[in-house]
Amino acid sequence: MYRRKFSPWPYLLIAPALIVIFAVVFFPVLNAIFMSFQSYDLRRPSQIRFTGLANYVAAMHDPLFWQALIKTVIWVSVGVGLQFVFGFLLALLLNRKFPGRGIVRSISLIPWVTPGVLIGLMWRWIFDGNYGVLNDLLMRLGLIHDKIPFLAQQSTAFPSVILTIIWQGIPFFALMLLAGLQGIPEELYDAANVDGANAFQRFFMITIPSLKNTIFVTTLLRIIWVANSVDVIFNMTEGGPAYSTQTLSVYVFNKANTLNLGYASTMAILLALALALVAVPYLKTLFKAQEESK
Amino acid sequence: MKRKLVFVLVAVLSMMVLGAVSAQQKPVTIVHWYWADNPAYSAQMQKIAADFNATNGKSITVVAQEYPWDGGAYSETLFRAVMGGGGPDTSSFKLTSTPLFTANGLLVNLDDFLAKWKDKDKIDPSLYDTMRKASGTKSVYVMPWNTQVLYVYYRPSLFKKAGVSVPKTYEEFLEACKKLTMDTNGDGKTDVYGFGMRGAKGGQEPWGSFIWARGGNFDNLTTPQAIQGMQDFIDLYRNGYAPPTAPMDGFQEIIANFKSGRTAMTIHHIGSSIGMVDTFGNDVDAFAFPGGVGRWTSMGDTENVILKSSKNKEAAFEWLAYLATGKGQEAWCVATGNVPVSKDVQQLPFFQNNRFMKVSIEGAPYAGIFPILDTTTEWINTIWPNTVAAALTGKISAAEAMKQLQIGLWGK
Repeated sequence: MYRRKFSPWPYLLIAPALIVIFAVVFFPVLNAIFMSFQSYDLRRPSQIRFTGLANYVAAMHDPLFWQALIKTVIWVSVGVGLQFVFGFLLALLLNRKFPGRGIVRSISLIPWVTPGVLIGLMWRWIFDGNYGVLNDLLMRLGLIHDKIPFLAQQSTAFPSVILTIIWQGIPFFALMLLAGLQGIPEELYDAANVDGANAFQRFFMITIPSLKNTIFVTTLLRIIWVANSVDVIFNMTEGGPAYSTQTLSVYVFNKANTLNLGYASTMAILLALALALVAVPYLKTLFKAQEESK
Repeated sequence: MKRKLVFVLVAVLSMMVLGAVSAQQKPVTIVHWYWADNPAYSAQMQKIAADFNATNGKSITVVAQEYPWDGGAYSETLFRAVMGGGGPDTSSFKLTSTPLFTANGLLVNLDDFLAKWKDKDKIDPSLYDTMRKASGTKSVYVMPWNTQVLYVYYRPSLFKKAGVSVPKTYEEFLEACKKLTMDTNGDGKTDVYGFGMRGAKGGQEPWGSFIWARGGNFDNLTTPQAIQGMQDFIDLYRNGYAPPTAPMDGFQEIIANFKSGRTAMTIHHIGSSIGMVDTFGNDVDAFAFPGGVGRWTSMGDTENVILKSSKNKEAAFEWLAYLATGKGQEAWCVATGNVPVSKDVQQLPFFQNNRFMKVSIEGAPYAGIFPILDTTTEWINTIWPNTVAAALTGKISAAEAMKQLQIGLWGK
């Protein structure tokens, strides 16, 4: 019987990549898991020790954790949901032929290529209650009579940061869905026309099914990115006022900033688990649909 | 004979050259971190470093690198850099961060340097005591640099318009906030707010004056007196005597609001005085926060430290000494208007004749600092702004807010 001779070469060749991945991905993850079981607070270095599940129990009893979790659910569902809706509309528009389409396509990418920190600062000034351009516009249009301190009151601060993240994410969906739209063969629409299908039927029976995989993947990516996003909120409100814009990732960042790395790691792990709860069934559904379509 | 003479001459010359070379010190570079409130202060620090480099005569080159103050997050940036194995040789510093840095063994003990330093007595001994107290040890880890006493900036022209005179008591101050809130163009909307309230990070300093004015203190924030002080703070906002944006207003916002004429009074220290005078000329003045049952104002402080990771500690101390009592002290305090720690510099006419300096000195006897605990940084950066925002916007009562602040600071 023929036995293949063991050769170390393949392993040696992939070793550098494995070492790098271990160093920059697995080691920090393992370290975070390890820290989540410790009272790892650098303000009290002499008290750093293994505490088992104490941080997890503390998180379960922390009202700010639950508040941040609820905020995260709203932040992701409304933020990503509306990004998708407006991104889809923009993609449909950009898929049509009209003069200057190239320029419009390029301009529509601006929010996506702008750094999150800059977006946060920019919108912070747009929403400013004293000198912000939004207040000025609304007053000129006669829609309001007094300036609204958008970021200083709890009722408007969270919608304001959500509006900002929607603005940032629309081009991503537009770009990805536009690529998907361009991959749909024209013949399908021609055939549907011959069969007498109206626009509504063409959209739901050709466009949507053809884009299903793109929609699945892009939505999942955005859910993960938006859930983990800190830059926009932190630069606009730092999670305030009165924790009203503090999502779980911002809470993790604030706790890590105050050097309580053990508790911050615990919440980061819980956030990762929450995301996995969404991502795993999502991916299963996607793969199942792909199998069925074969 | 002639050859012997030449040989001796060459040998002597060689020894002289070698001696001269060895006498000259090995060049060292000191990386110094600092923050600056505006571009002018930033340029000033670069100039001070350049002057030091040109005049120290010990081949020390200071590279001054600026990092944002970011409402106090500077200290955490420095901490993370040093813990990560990087960071500078020396850095500007705030006393409240001392426990964090000393607990992790990151600062150089300055006792030996100070013992040998000829200018040690140019700094008031009480300042060294404050530094020792902050470290929780009997040693000095931070080098005094300058102090700032908070006081109230006001616009004399607006006071005249509202018919208000400079408040002498706390009650008069509250009344002034009310009267200075004006609709100046008769459109039914407030154009000038009496008090430029700081509700974001850093706002705990002016807020402290309200707590003490009612007879409260920071040891127990849940006393009826402390709660009443908080209630006054809330009432100023709820009654419309402070801008609606106050819960999120930080340093930049309160200064911008004051400079644009949107507020008639605001609380900050002498570091802002030069910019205020640039904007208003003589139409800006200051008074010490008035007393009520008690009296307190915040003493800001800025020090410098040597990080333990520095390989050139002697040279680093030379630089810190230059900033504390040398030309660097004078140049920085003249440019920024901060209160110098050097007794010699304090006597200069610039400081003796400055109206804002006089108010700073008037406030100094009752100026103090917040308790320096390992919870203080989180309390300042997260707990205080969010709790006070909740109280200002009516989500929680003054008593509930003070209870949360007490737990956040003292743990019980």
